Amino acid sequence: MINATTSARDAATNAATNTVTTTLGSNAVRPFASGSEAVGLHGAASIDELLQGNPALWRGCDLAGHGHHGQATGFDELDGILPGRGWPRNGLMEVVAPSWGNGELQLLLPLMRSVIARGQWILWVSPPYLLYAPALVQAGIDIRQVLVVDLETTCRDALWTLEKALQTRNCGLVLAWQNWLPGKVLRRLQLAATAGDTLGVLFKHHDSKHSPSPLRLQIKDSSSKNRPCSEAEVTLLKARGNFCARSVRLPLPLSPLSPTVSPT
Amino acid sequence: MKTGKEKEAGTDYPDTQLQLPSVPDQSGAQVITLPLIPKTQAQSSTQQETQSKASRKRPSLWYALYFPQLEGLSEKQRQEALQQLAGQTHNISATVSYHDCALVAEVRSSLKYFGGLHSIHQALHDSLQQCLRDLRLSGKYGYAATPTVTGSLLLARAGHNSAVYRQDNLRSALGHLPYEVLHLNREQNRRLYNMGVRQLKDLWRLPMAGLRKRFGSELLNLLNRALGKTPEPTRNYLPPPAFQTSYDLPYGVEELERLLPVADEMLAQLNDFLRRRDLVTDLLEFKLQHENRPATEVRLGLRQASRSREHLLLLLQTHFTSLSVPAAVSGLKLSVLQFDAHTPASESLPGQQAASNSSNLDLFMEQLHARLGVQPVRTLSTVAEHCPEYACQLHEYDARDVRSRPNKKQSMPQTVSDRPRPAWLLPKPQLLTLRNNRLYYRKAITLISGPERIETRWWSGQDIRRDYYVASEVGGSRLWVFRERSGERCWYLHGLFA
Repeated sequence: MINATTSARDAATNAATNTVTTTLGSNAVRPFASGSEAVGLHGAASIDELLQGNPALWRGCDLAGHGHHGQATGFDELDGILPGRGWPRNGLMEVVAPSWGNGELQLLLPLMRSVIARGQWILWVSPPYLLYAPALVQAGIDIRQVLVVDLETTCRDALWTLEKALQTRNCGLVLAWQNWLPGKVLRRLQLAATAGDTLGVLFKHHDSKHSPSPLRLQIKDSSSKNRPCSEAEVTLLKARGNFCARSVRLPLPLSPLSPTVSPT
Repeated sequence: MKTGKEKEAGTDYPDTQLQLPSVPDQSGAQVITLPLIPKTQAQSSTQQETQSKASRKRPSLWYALYFPQLEGLSEKQRQEALQQLAGQTHNISATVSYHDCALVAEVRSSLKYFGGLHSIHQALHDSLQQCLRDLRLSGKYGYAATPTVTGSLLLARAGHNSAVYRQDNLRSALGHLPYEVLHLNREQNRRLYNMGVRQLKDLWRLPMAGLRKRFGSELLNLLNRALGKTPEPTRNYLPPPAFQTSYDLPYGVEELERLLPVADEMLAQLNDFLRRRDLVTDLLEFKLQHENRPATEVRLGLRQASRSREHLLLLLQTHFTSLSVPAAVSGLKLSVLQFDAHTPASESLPGQQAASNSSNLDLFMEQLHARLGVQPVRTLSTVAEHCPEYACQLHEYDARDVRSRPNKKQSMPQTVSDRPRPAWLLPKPQLLTLRNNRLYYRKAITLISGPERIETRWWSGQDIRRDYYVASEVGGSRLWVFRERSGERCWYLHGLFA
């Protein structure tokens, strides 16, 4: 791991054309083109790969669309605006929806499928309603790897569960519904998520401007009158490694199995 | 109290047959008496024995106990009964082995200590009677001691409560037994009878090769083992492990956190104990003792049996966070309630992380259960059912389910409807308001698609007749609503497409 980091740094200083910023306290550095030999042998191409495939390293001029260290969202348009061309591999992410039922889960379905395919678990911490298994089966998610922690008790327990789940490597994705959390707690969860190499998603109704989560986005229904529930607008409120707020319209049909029909 | 005669008998190992007293309630037990061997011969053989002691291991003496009353029990009951009886027999010998309805203990090594076979029998008799009474079985049993395991068993089966000390005398001692003691099958018994065999001595006279041809090598092996011609492997009884340790604190402790170093020390002892016996545990109990109050019990249950000190301490720590004690803790007691054999996980090759993953998940689940209880942590399953409320079920998480699950690649259960189903279901359908021919939830609702008619469960008394529609609310929420087809034909919200 240390070798990879130093070689990345060396490579970066050698390249010298770009300003290089190494984020401090960087955690798991993922070597893509592994080892220093690769750098030595293949020269410039490998350096580029190394720079772009490393989430702990970003270049000043590297706007969205160059690195590829994220996990594909399943929507090309969304990949285009996210840093690293996809969802972050670990850490905390906030999804702001004005009300539940705006397609916020559909946005994550491709991610859930890939998490399941990796053999990891999806944990749902205190969801707002009953999680309905037939819908998940319809969406192609193996419900045997889905775990629901239903907490009617205290927020303390929910946060504790959330932190433990994020620290566990078996949970590929942890979904939680918490409306308001102080920055201190969020920072702690972010640390747990990076330690456990897990992606945590917090769903909330309202955006909090000063949240320390590295990725915040908002989803809103944007379908036209004559084709309701067919499209959603995803706005990037904050993304570490990307400084301009952008939005994109995604087609989010109700269910992959049922094309929306006009009422009879 | 041992009498001088007994002592002498015990120390000298008389090579004659010792006649054991028959058990009082065993009426009709036949006692065979063998001709006494002249004393000179006995002495010389003792001398020989002492001479060759250094070079040759002293032949063992096997004390067999046969319990005919166990024959009528089921396999499991028999095993349990034998295990309990073996626990009693363990008092007289370190080597006790299981056999069919019988136990055999090696007693040569304990003859000197007890002062003869007679004393051994006396020491054992009462506890065996008590044990049999507790098991609600009759107190009858047969016993015998010879230098071979099989020989003792045959003698005990025949009800000859007798002892044979020398291997040379075995042949004649066993010769008087009826052939039924061999416990052969009916066909073989019939053939033996037709051959004119009534007692084992008739078998001694038959040519071995012919016997092997007619009855297979199993019978021959049995006879050879009985006479000590071939070795006899046995399965030995091991007493169940037990672990208990306690620690008295010099002063009462209120903060549970401060008990952790003591608990850690106790867990280290436990770890040591388990490691030496190659065991793991999946249920153990800490008792926090208070002055003048009943102790607080903390039970640590593990998904996957373990002996890791850190793991157990972590679990205990988690328990302590949600535990409140009624008074200061004056002592700590640790006992293990369940043991399990240790099966180490196989090392995975680089790149294969699945094996370690599952134990990692188990640790996480244990922590969840320790803190939150079993109830809130649940898994999902689908049921082939038309009524939406009943099509989804929540179960408590069970690690065994997950581990025994067949190959992941196996197709998922496809028992769901192919019509749109929402990800969120309301626990109870919520009544919608209808104003000026428009539906309202929080805002106005427009229907998008439908209806999907569901009529079901008329057989169980709750007639469900609904038309389901997919609808959208102003502001973007996608809803799943239905209208009753009977009664007041009200509109309800039943789910949200998220």
